[in-house]
Amino acid sequence: MRRKQRTEILIDCDIEKLEEMAKIIENKHNIEILEEPNSGLIMVKMRESAQKHLFYLGEVFVTECKVMLDGVIGLGIIKGAHKKRANYLAIIDAAYNAKVRETKDLDLMIKEEKLKIDEKKALICKQILKTKVDFETLDEEVKA
Amino acid sequence: MAYVAVKGGQKAIQESIKRIKYERFKNGGILKLKNIESGMRGLIDQVMSEASLYDEELAAIAVKQSEGNPEEVVFLLRAFRSTLPRKHYSRIIESETMEIERRISASFKDIPGGQILGTSYDYTHRLIDFNIAVEEKDSRKIKKWVEKYNKVAVDINYDTKSIRFPKVIDYLREEGIMINYEINNDEPKDVTKESLKFPTKRSERLQILTRGQTGAVAALGYASLRGFGSVHPTVGELRVGLLPIYIDSPIESSKEDDDSYYIGSIRVTEVESIIPTTIKNKDGTREERLEVGYGICYGQNESKAIAMSILDRCLEMKEDSPTHDEEFVLYHIDSVEASGFISHLKLPHYVTFQSKLDSVRKTRKEK
Repeated sequence: MRRKQRTEILIDCDIEKLEEMAKIIENKHNIEILEEPNSGLIMVKMRESAQKHLFYLGEVFVTECKVMLDGVIGLGIIKGAHKKRANYLAIIDAAYNAKVRETKDLDLMIKEEKLKIDEKKALICKQILKTKVDFETLDEEVKA
Repeated sequence: MAYVAVKGGQKAIQESIKRIKYERFKNGGILKLKNIESGMRGLIDQVMSEASLYDEELAAIAVKQSEGNPEEVVFLLRAFRSTLPRKHYSRIIESETMEIERRISASFKDIPGGQILGTSYDYTHRLIDFNIAVEEKDSRKIKKWVEKYNKVAVDINYDTKSIRFPKVIDYLREEGIMINYEINNDEPKDVTKESLKFPTKRSERLQILTRGQTGAVAALGYASLRGFGSVHPTVGELRVGLLPIYIDSPIESSKEDDDSYYIGSIRVTEVESIIPTTIKNKDGTREERLEVGYGICYGQNESKAIAMSILDRCLEMKEDSPTHDEEFVLYHIDSVEASGFISHLKLPHYVTFQSKLDSVRKTRKEK
């Protein structure tokens, strides 16, 4: 699992599960904190669809943390004020960057979390799609 | 006449500041941040957009501190933002990646994927619902309503984890009746780092419009429709949804999409307005084509995004109307700049006013 897909799941998963994953790594490896969780900004670069130019939409408040595991750096970064989450994300990222054995266990846990997140997302989609206009029904009603 | 240092205001100022606290506390009801975040979505969206800073919790704190006064909230958020380091720039976001929560078109009845109304006040009666005044008394009833709503949704037979559709205007582009543009990857200018110089770049105009004060952007967009401009669009597509944000690794050299970090999603409103325009061919003949006006802002703020799309198009066209004048539009729609300058008039102008008085008295005596 590549980082993009992995972080898409980790960002949305429960903090208890994130902590559990980070502890699996912490229990087996020495984690050095390079940068305590701290606040900052990300500038959002966007392409507009009228003339396809780039522009800056605005900034997003984030929390970021950096750790080191066996000489390899891990980065945890998340939208909003979430110091613990940023720390757990950094530890998990360091584990994957250092390719430690425990990541195989994490892979399974992350896949399980994905199923739960997908289920939640599917529910939201269903709720939204209930507001889809059925123009055919409208036409029939007008005829009657 | 000379400047005179004055003393004596400090105690009065301290007491005045105490009164702000008193006004918040005097009735005994202290707002909870969670209540502001969940119950004042419209205000939170508006101030995040005008502050150009996306964070619901920070916005809620600022709303609480300033008793819901939007210009004060935006000032607080901009001030806080200026204390933070800008750590990264996002990867380029293409709005096709939006997870759609609402999507309508005023131009076409049948659009691929359909018209999805989502969450909107558009279809409600604008009558005050007095039941809302007492609804917190029955929290069990509210909980039950939410549970029932979630249950009914489960019965619907759709198997999807995200709603993503192609753009309505892309179909018109394929047909050739819409002016097509090549992808432009020029680095955007950043109005937070460089002062504005005229004529402006497109990236600067869009950045200023998207962080403009909602009322000001809507008022100038409306002015254009009323004849103080020459743009009257049809909304090709209006979308509200979540845009996922990714950054490249600041540690590794890889810039591959799969190696990026996902940091979360932001809710935005995006509008593509369709505006007829006449283009002159090389042989001198004239042809009617369609142009797009672009509007986008943080949160769900549809009037602002539509008005921005009008002003975007206005500023692309050189015409002799106020809404086509970039200096007039761009210098006056910023919340902090406008309210800051207006409110400075409250500050002591004792010396300058004395000099005005003197000159009026002098002319009267001369008569």
